[in-house]
Amino acid sequence: MNGRERVLAALAGEPVDRTPTCTPTSVATVELMDLVDAPFPAANRDAELMARLAATSYTELGFDTIMPVFSIIQDSSALGCEIQWEGKDNWPTAKMTRPIWAEPEDVTIPSDFLTHPDTKCVLDAISILKREYGDEVAIVGKTMGPWTQAYHCFGVEKFLLLSYDDPDKTRQILDRLKTATVDFGRAQIEAGADALTLPDHATGDLVSAKYYDKYLTDLHREFANELEVPLILHICGKTTEFMDYISQTGFAAFHYDSKNNPKESMEIVHGRLALVGNINNPTTLYSQGPEEVAAEVTANLEAGVPLIGPECAIPLQTPIDNLRAIPETVKAWHREHGSN
Amino acid sequence: MADLKDIANETIRDEITEFVEREDEQEKMIDLFAAVTPQMQNIAAALIEGENDEVDELTKAALGDGIEATEVMDDGLIAGMAIVGIKFRDNIIFVPEVLACARAMKAGMTHIEPILSESGIEAVGKVVMGTVKGDLHDIGKNLCTMMLRGAGFEVIDLGVDTSPDDFIDGLEENDAPLLGMSALLTTTMPNMGRTIEAIIDAGMRDDVQVMVGGAPVTQEFADDMGADGYGKDAIDCVELAKQLLSELRGEEAAGA
Ligand code: B12
Ligand SMILES: [Zn+2]
Repeated sequence: MNGRERVLAALAGEPVDRTPTCTPTSVATVELMDLVDAPFPAANRDAELMARLAATSYTELGFDTIMPVFSIIQDSSALGCEIQWEGKDNWPTAKMTRPIWAEPEDVTIPSDFLTHPDTKCVLDAISILKREYGDEVAIVGKTMGPWTQAYHCFGVEKFLLLSYDDPDKTRQILDRLKTATVDFGRAQIEAGADALTLPDHATGDLVSAKYYDKYLTDLHREFANELEVPLILHICGKTTEFMDYISQTGFAAFHYDSKNNPKESMEIVHGRLALVGNINNPTTLYSQGPEEVAAEVTANLEAGVPLIGPECAIPLQTPIDNLRAIPETVKAWHREHGSN
Repeated sequence: MADLKDIANETIRDEITEFVEREDEQEKMIDLFAAVTPQMQNIAAALIEGENDEVDELTKAALGDGIEATEVMDDGLIAGMAIVGIKFRDNIIFVPEVLACARAMKAGMTHIEPILSESGIEAVGKVVMGTVKGDLHDIGKNLCTMMLRGAGFEVIDLGVDTSPDDFIDGLEENDAPLLGMSALLTTTMPNMGRTIEAIIDAGMRDDVQVMVGGAPVTQEFADDMGADGYGKDAIDCVELAKQLLSELRGEEAAGA
């Protein structure tokens, strides 16, 4: 099996020759930027540089996927949010202190949403990657969910308060934002994406599992129906209590955080979807060494987690050797345990 | 020691028995609420339930009845916030609910603040708070700010993406003895250390106590970069602020 076949099989719950390594969120680092001369912020705005930096997850690190969207704001920018692009050593963000919308009626998807430079850049990068690596590795796209978009467009605190005060308005907003998620997702599929990450930050540290169910289970089910490639939901934080709901959405996979125990999480999802993760970023990948990384990879393999990778966008100063330790450990583990 | 039945308000009694799990904290809360009037308990209960209109009315009414502004603030609003802080720390409520309680707190404080500033009652202390350069995460910092205000501190909130120079300006302009920095990104954590260096270069280090926090920050990291204290949550932040302030005042007294 090659990387692409392996990833798609694992996402479909089918047998694999070895556990695939997967990067649903960014693995870009400053070191990798230097290595291929594709630094931030240019690599977030220029398709050729974006593709070049993204490809390093395969060419330099040895993962089975390439995912070119390093931030969570490309689509927000096309919706009209003001973006702080930052420098080489930080991610870009939407200026949430200056919300662009206040009421559900304000939500309109601009007619140039898919031709805007910051969405088009992603589409072009995916085309390049598909052409150059599409036969060997899985090309994963990324389209943001409506909950995250609402943070960016309405302001986080304003939106969270609205969700407390007025469930109807909240649902209207999410419903109107849905189109952006679907349209950008479809355009990426057309450009060559084999799968899509769908981050939606109803994070465990911010809202309860009941909240997820109240606002997002049904909506996420719609995405699973409307986007015809495997979808990887990304929600950071402690989400153990969300997992039963998430397993009912029809998503192919859930990208889970290190705050959740691999074994316990596997028991909850119970074969209804694949888990991807959950190597800790700030402590392990960023500040420890390959040995500690290997220990977490092994814990995931032993728990039967079907795709292995970091828990979320890795810190930009993460040492390359720690990242390489993920695919290396997976391969070594399978050599030791014999593959099927 | 007080007893649960010394508390008149049913909501408060339920909140304490259902949600305050640690025994020492439960005792502390019972003592706290048993000692305040039913009218103050009602304000606290409305705050815990996030009812800002009710807090607004009850506060106005209490002040109208001639109750001291400080009593309404301490025994009503701040007491209510103590339970909110515990529930948030223990994952019983989450950010939307806390934001609603903060809004209720604000509704009450709008009536209290003008009276306090008129009567010249001094804040417990002044704190400059901000999220460091390059970092736009502010939910945690805002909760800390709110709890500090709830505990009687005057907080100058510099917002997000705050450069070392902005921090220094904020400290100087307000003559504040305490600085609180928040960072949620490993990429921006070093900016805490850079700010501390800038404070040293500005010759202000002896006059300012620095506390730091945010999910990726640890005690070890705080020590390494020369901060005076680290707090893991908003309750901690308030305790730390009090402690650092008394250390500073102690030193002043000793030096004088
Ligand atoms: C909400 C959130 C966002 C929101 C921010 C909204 C806002 N206005 O704050 C959005 C979606 C916009 C966002 C954007 C990004 N985020 Co973000 N985000 C989070 C998330 C999910 C929760 C943070 C939070 O608010 N927690 C709740 C609050 C209450 O907790 P807290 O902040 O820790 O604060 C408490 C304590 O720490 C303490 N405290 C806080 N400050 C202080 C200060 C003092 C003095 C003291 C004493 C105590 C104290 O008290 C608080 C109350 O108890 C975390 C994941 C997580 N689980 O932490 C990721 C996370 C912080 N984000 C992350 C990333 C990567 C990003 C992005 C780069 C994403 C991207 N790829 O584009 C951008 C960067 C933006 C930027 N430049 O700042 C990573 C950081 C990785 C790393 N370690 O470097 C995290 C950890 C996710 C992960 N698992 O990897 N994010
Ligand atoms: Zn994440």
